[in-house]
Amino acid sequence: MSKPILIVGGGPAGLAAAHSFATVGKKAVIVEKEDRLGGAPILSGYAKLVPSGEWASDAIGGMVTRVEQAANVDVETGATVTGFDGTPGNFTAELSNGKKFEAEAAILCSGFTHFDSVNKPEWGFGTFEDVVTTTQVEQMISSGQGVRCPSDGRKPERVAILLCVGSRDRQIGREWCSKICCTVSANMAMEIREELPNCHVYIYYMDIRTFGLYETKYYWQSQEEFKVKYIKARIAEVTSDGDKLIVKGEDTLVKRPITIPFDMVVHAIGMDPNVDNPSIAETFGIDLEQHGFIDVANRYGAMGETSRPGVYVAGAATGPETIDDSIAQGHGTAMAVLSGLGEISKSA
Amino acid sequence: MPIHEKSLIRPEDLETHDDMVLDGVDVSGHWSTFIKTRVVSDYNEALEEEIAALPGGEHIHRCWQCGSCTNSCTVNAVNPDFNPRYWIYLIRMGMESELLRDKDIIWQCVSCNKCTYACPRDVFPEGVMKATSHWLERKGHTPKSPSTHFDEVFTEQVVATGKIEESRTMRRFFTRTKQALMQDWMVEMVKRMLRGLPVGMLTRMGLATLVAPRTSDWSRASAAIQEYIDEQHEEQENALNLAQLVETAKRDAA
Repeated sequence: MSKPILIVGGGPAGLAAAHSFATVGKKAVIVEKEDRLGGAPILSGYAKLVPSGEWASDAIGGMVTRVEQAANVDVETGATVTGFDGTPGNFTAELSNGKKFEAEAAILCSGFTHFDSVNKPEWGFGTFEDVVTTTQVEQMISSGQGVRCPSDGRKPERVAILLCVGSRDRQIGREWCSKICCTVSANMAMEIREELPNCHVYIYYMDIRTFGLYETKYYWQSQEEFKVKYIKARIAEVTSDGDKLIVKGEDTLVKRPITIPFDMVVHAIGMDPNVDNPSIAETFGIDLEQHGFIDVANRYGAMGETSRPGVYVAGAATGPETIDDSIAQGHGTAMAVLSGLGEISKSA
Repeated sequence: MPIHEKSLIRPEDLETHDDMVLDGVDVSGHWSTFIKTRVVSDYNEALEEEIAALPGGEHIHRCWQCGSCTNSCTVNAVNPDFNPRYWIYLIRMGMESELLRDKDIIWQCVSCNKCTYACPRDVFPEGVMKATSHWLERKGHTPKSPSTHFDEVFTEQVVATGKIEESRTMRRFFTRTKQALMQDWMVEMVKRMLRGLPVGMLTRMGLATLVAPRTSDWSRASAAIQEYIDEQHEEQENALNLAQLVETAKRDAA
């Protein structure tokens, strides 16, 4: 049992899986296409994480350090898997950097891709500088620069956060709910109000889905303590009068059209399937589900089984997922891999 | 009219012109009706803060528009125009002109507090209705209501003497609300009381009318209460920006 487990992707799920293997003394190789580990929270520069409130650089950074220091985990950055053949317990993986090694199993922790807001041109991203995404605001906060209008660096006095940008929208082929944007937006609204107490924050929503315990800590707290305003309106378009951004839509609760001026408009962007999923599916010989995420074959068997025995999946590669759940799935799938290998050696 | 039956376009927002020609086309008369704009073009953020500054309105920002208050409302059952959920929304978003359309209904709240118990977010809609009625009065949108007059004479008396002498309260209330001091029901009540000749009680009543009863050593407590009332009053005046309102009104009058 000297062959390692291949982990594709070094985000929260991949790091958790690698840590599990390191702990039980099983060898693992993380193949990460970017030049460093950490996944979206690190690469996109997230600020404070939901729900712990810890800075992403500390929390996920800690997971990275733990894995980098593990003796039995190898890390291949700037590389992708180009070939994967064999049977459970006896796979061969080829990498884009020319390396080749044998592996007993693989876990795909290949995550998601942030929705690109230029695909919703009516909401002004790419046309107006002060229309930004949640990711950009996360970076403004995590960099210590603070929330400022990109056009002239001024402090915004009124910010609109538009929910469901790239989610629940058949027009652009994205029917799924991205699950975390409501909570992230409520959290962001509170962070803005905390930094800029004179800035009013409005959230335009279709439904609010701050599920489970997030309800109290994010939805309720943002209203009760931080006086964030929630307006039930799907925005029709974002334009400009040359001075301010103009948000147009219908306030459905009073059945009235609205055209309200704002300093900054934030798109709460959703989670797309990883853009590389078609090639990942081909390389590993696995199925994608109808939206393009990696299909989970058996929900009630071992954790994270795909359509191909010996190849597993964990985290946001399976669909929109929270960081906490991605980590849990990483650990759980590592356990599934180990028990699956146990089955093979028993029957051998 | 219940809100869901309301037309998107109000009759008063329809315009017809007896004599109008546009680009050489005669568009006079009823067959070509114009609609005034009904677009909300900005939020007045001060409105919510003003209502929240008045007693009872403190928790208005918690509302998530579920409608439990309107559903449970005693007054709404008899007057479908009485819609706390809707007003709370108008206030939160700062749609002042829209709120003022209902200024003659808002005071009708009977304070049964069914909404208070139904509200999942502890907004205290009954308190918000009270705060809104007071806001309307203090901003000069509606005249002082009889109940406000009553509250005032009652409070003044308690602060001054530490006690309530009902006949004095009634007299002052009738005077301030410009009602006759000798109300028919009062005359009838006194007549019937006299029939039983309760000598002791009548003597005490007579004495109380002549000599206002006072709580002994009341002056320090009175001063403390008055100080608190003044402080609250000033805070509210500031929150509602009343001084400036009066100033503007004076300037406009001059």
